Amino acid sequence: MPRISILIAESTCLIRKGLGAVSQKLENVEILQSVSNKMELCDIVNRLKPDILIVNPNMLDSDCEDLKKPFIKANKMSLVLISDDKSIKDKYHADAFIHHKDNQSKIIDVLEEIVNKKAENKRTNKSNETLSSREQNILKHIALGLTNKEIADQLFISIHTVVTHRKNITQKLGIKSVSGLTVYAILNNLITMDEVK
Amino acid sequence: MHIKKSMKMADVIQMNYMLIPVIHRFGIELGFGDKTVDQVCKENEVDLNFFLQLVNAYHDQDYFPKEELQSIPVRDIVAYLKMTHASYLNNTVTDIEQKIKSLELEGSEDKKYIALIRNFFEGYKSELTEHIMREEDVVFPYVLAVDEIIKSEKFTDKNKKVFESFSIVEYEEEHDDIEEKLMDLRTIMIKYVAPPANTNLYHSIIQDLFRLEEDLNYHSRIEDKVLIPKIILMEKSIKNLF
Repeated sequence: MPRISILIAESTCLIRKGLGAVSQKLENVEILQSVSNKMELCDIVNRLKPDILIVNPNMLDSDCEDLKKPFIKANKMSLVLISDDKSIKDKYHADAFIHHKDNQSKIIDVLEEIVNKKAENKRTNKSNETLSSREQNILKHIALGLTNKEIADQLFISIHTVVTHRKNITQKLGIKSVSGLTVYAILNNLITMDEVK
Repeated sequence: MHIKKSMKMADVIQMNYMLIPVIHRFGIELGFGDKTVDQVCKENEVDLNFFLQLVNAYHDQDYFPKEELQSIPVRDIVAYLKMTHASYLNNTVTDIEQKIKSLELEGSEDKKYIALIRNFFEGYKSELTEHIMREEDVVFPYVLAVDEIIKSEKFTDKNKKVFESFSIVEYEEEHDDIEEKLMDLRTIMIKYVAPPANTNLYHSIIQDLFRLEEDLNYHSRIEDKVLIPKIILMEKSIKNLF
């Protein structure tokens, strides 16, 4: 089961640490980091791209583009606000709220629902962890040391398509580097060791 | 819990064994009896403030004393980073390489796969070495020249040349992810290879890879969050000075 990553951003130390401790009780989640500083939040969100961002709205009112609706939407981030003020729901398009008076099981319920939804999405996105035959073919070419352009020419497809395939292969296998992909290709008999220079 | 100067050095290590290589880089050896952090640092002529900030930053991920770290002299940071480089190349990486080699020597039908892993790791090693060499040959001399200009408030022929030949922004841009290959390697070993007969050795290699990755992450944290911002500020003030 894919793990769901959570980032907590809240300036009050008590709340931040407390929420971190409560979230640890959820299954299949990974608390990436907790952020106390508004200035750093933008940078960290952009770098870590968490699945779920739990944030106090007062951390959001900066001029950071990465915290605006389009960015959050594009990265399919779920937004949970720590606030009692329901009126800001539409402003940030929040998926859920955590209220200051909520008890532990309420908070866990709220978060669990989102985590499960996320996990479900991730599973269906990558329903087939094994590579399609097209992807295997592309992987073979990558492992042989061909560039995107060369692969595109040989298979009569556009470079853009090659890039998309590469992205999917990397995502499915969890391997990014060309040499890592080459090792995978050999282990799975897509190419032989002698073929690699 | 933060590490303080009045704590016993032995307790610090009991608390977090990952600090063993860190103190080693400062030239501090084990066997300190009941001496405090303060005492051990004095004996080894290690700057107490720098030592405390570093071990605390290492020990606790959330602890990042930007301001305190900013007060540490550039010279000391560079010296520390150099020591870490040396220990990666001379100890950590070589150890892992040796382990992979002896696994390969045990020879079985898995031999072919181990050779693949060894090749891959060697590729990583040369990439890491190249990265480190670039830092030591270009970046650090530049950083020290910037520091010298700020301190003396004037250019000499030598440091002017170094200053004009490079800019820290260049480094920031090219400071690429050297951990990528390392992550790939452990993913391959965990997900896609059936372990060889000597599982103990195989497991210990994977654990070493995790530790190296953690250590490298910390190392680049110092570079990205302390050294680079510090130098960017210094570059600005040099431009204002002249």
